[in-house]
Amino acid sequence: MKRWGMFVLAPMLMLAVGCAKAPTEKLEAADKAVNETRTAGAPSYLAEDFAKLEGMLNNAKKEIAEQDAKFAFTRDYEKAEQLLTTVQADAVRVTAETAKKKEEAKVVAVQAQQTAQEAVKTTQGLVAKAPVGKDRAALEAIKADAQGLTASLAEVQTAIDAGDYLAAQTKAKAIQEKSQAVSAEIQSALAKVGGAKKGKKK
Amino acid sequence: MTMRSDRRLRFWAAWLFLMLGLSACVQKAPPELLQAVETVDRQLVEAQGAEFAPEEYAKFVEHWVAVKGRILSEQDVIRWPWETNQLVADLHKVQEQGERVASAAAQRREAERRSAESRLVSLEERLRLFTTSIDEMGSRVVLGQRPIETELLVKQARAFLEQGSFSRSVHAAQKASELMDEQIDRLSKELGYYADERRVGAWRQMVRRTVEWSRMHQRTAIVVSKADRRLTLYRNGRQIVSYPVELGFNGILEKRYQGDGATPEGQYRVIRKRDHGQTKFYRALLLDYPNRGDRRRFQRARVAGAIPASAMIGGQIEIHGGNDRTLSQTLGCIMLDNHQIDALFEAIDEGTPVTIVGAVNVANSVSVALTGLEQSERG
Repeated sequence: MKRWGMFVLAPMLMLAVGCAKAPTEKLEAADKAVNETRTAGAPSYLAEDFAKLEGMLNNAKKEIAEQDAKFAFTRDYEKAEQLLTTVQADAVRVTAETAKKKEEAKVVAVQAQQTAQEAVKTTQGLVAKAPVGKDRAALEAIKADAQGLTASLAEVQTAIDAGDYLAAQTKAKAIQEKSQAVSAEIQSALAKVGGAKKGKKK
Repeated sequence: MTMRSDRRLRFWAAWLFLMLGLSACVQKAPPELLQAVETVDRQLVEAQGAEFAPEEYAKFVEHWVAVKGRILSEQDVIRWPWETNQLVADLHKVQEQGERVASAAAQRREAERRSAESRLVSLEERLRLFTTSIDEMGSRVVLGQRPIETELLVKQARAFLEQGSFSRSVHAAQKASELMDEQIDRLSKELGYYADERRVGAWRQMVRRTVEWSRMHQRTAIVVSKADRRLTLYRNGRQIVSYPVELGFNGILEKRYQGDGATPEGQYRVIRKRDHGQTKFYRALLLDYPNRGDRRRFQRARVAGAIPASAMIGGQIEIHGGNDRTLSQTLGCIMLDNHQIDALFEAIDEGTPVTIVGAVNVANSVSVALTGLEQSERG
């Protein structure tokens, strides 16, 4: 009777202890962490780190698949679990670093936006003072330019709102450069008029 | 002697045992090799491997992560010197693979940079031609804010390129190019008639009739060519003098309604000479715009809905001089330097015919500039 018990209990014990379970929950958590990293913008801001995360996740998935294909008693998911733990930990780090990089990019974009806004404001002020002179067409063109620059400032804000800080920064830089060029054009015209007026006094 | 050799034997046996023990603890992953792979990994980050060789980089990463995992899990394993060290061989493979990926990424990055740069350089050249052409045609105002939007996009493409965002540079350049095409299409629509042989023929006919009238009646007559921006005075059918002129801010267009800045085309007469004190513009020759033809065209355009319903036909079109005063009324006039208007004022009487045409040659400045722009669009 005791022997019979042994024959029944031993395999049950082996099944209970020997059949390793696939780390499904850990895999889901790691997947979720990588997706959060993606949503945070890591593919744009930390592309290589993000690629490494994906690489580790893929390796873990492969490892799980390999173990799944093995005979139940010989399955060992420890390596996959280790990888998944690393993925989760790294994902947290990459998400934090992405947020930091994003914030840095935002600061640069907002600074560029402010500089562009100031440059456009200066241009608008000069347009109001612009000498009409003979060339009405040139003045109208300058006015259209100033209006275009003002309208483009809205695009910078849209890009900032969308989190596309590189687009915001480059657009702001373009606006600032063009504004300065238009201002220089008006200032030069103002200087000529000033010169002409002084000449007339003689 | 026996004791001495026995001691020596024991010493050598101990030494051999120690050496064997030490060599059995050979590290599986030599630090210098690990460092070499890590250097390659850093090079890949600098070469933007994930962006420029994404598939190869992903494979490298998988391989590298797998080997790293083995290093961690096997770091305590003791291996005898005669046993093959597969990990070292695999690390060499990872290093070689990484170097290949870094080289491919660097090559592709450079190729993309060159392609984006060359595209941008030709776009900047096209923008220069475009800007010069629209300024020559006096058509910048017609295009409103579009020219500045185009210029900003080109500048943005340059900024993207400088920051290493080549694909975004190409995208911005593409948008700028499309915007330029759109403006060229608009200019072709608005000013294409300057290249129309029949239209230019009709203008030439108008000029011929005016000169003939001057010859027949032994009187003065004025001809203005908008494309050439020139006013020519004829007396007795012979050209007396020719002056450069400024037009309204949209002067190159056909006048359609008040305030559009366009200079009208047609046959007019000087109906009043406005001397000092009678005009804001030094001295002026008031024309009989709108004439019957202008009114007819205006009514047709209004019925067709081609002009705003509230638009007025306008008037007060003059040939005038200009002080440094506000020229807010110059919305389609013809402007001369003061000494030129002085000469013209003295040379003509009220009733003098004034013929304003778009151009007198098919190869006029507007049609030539437009052709150049259309060619750049096709190119």
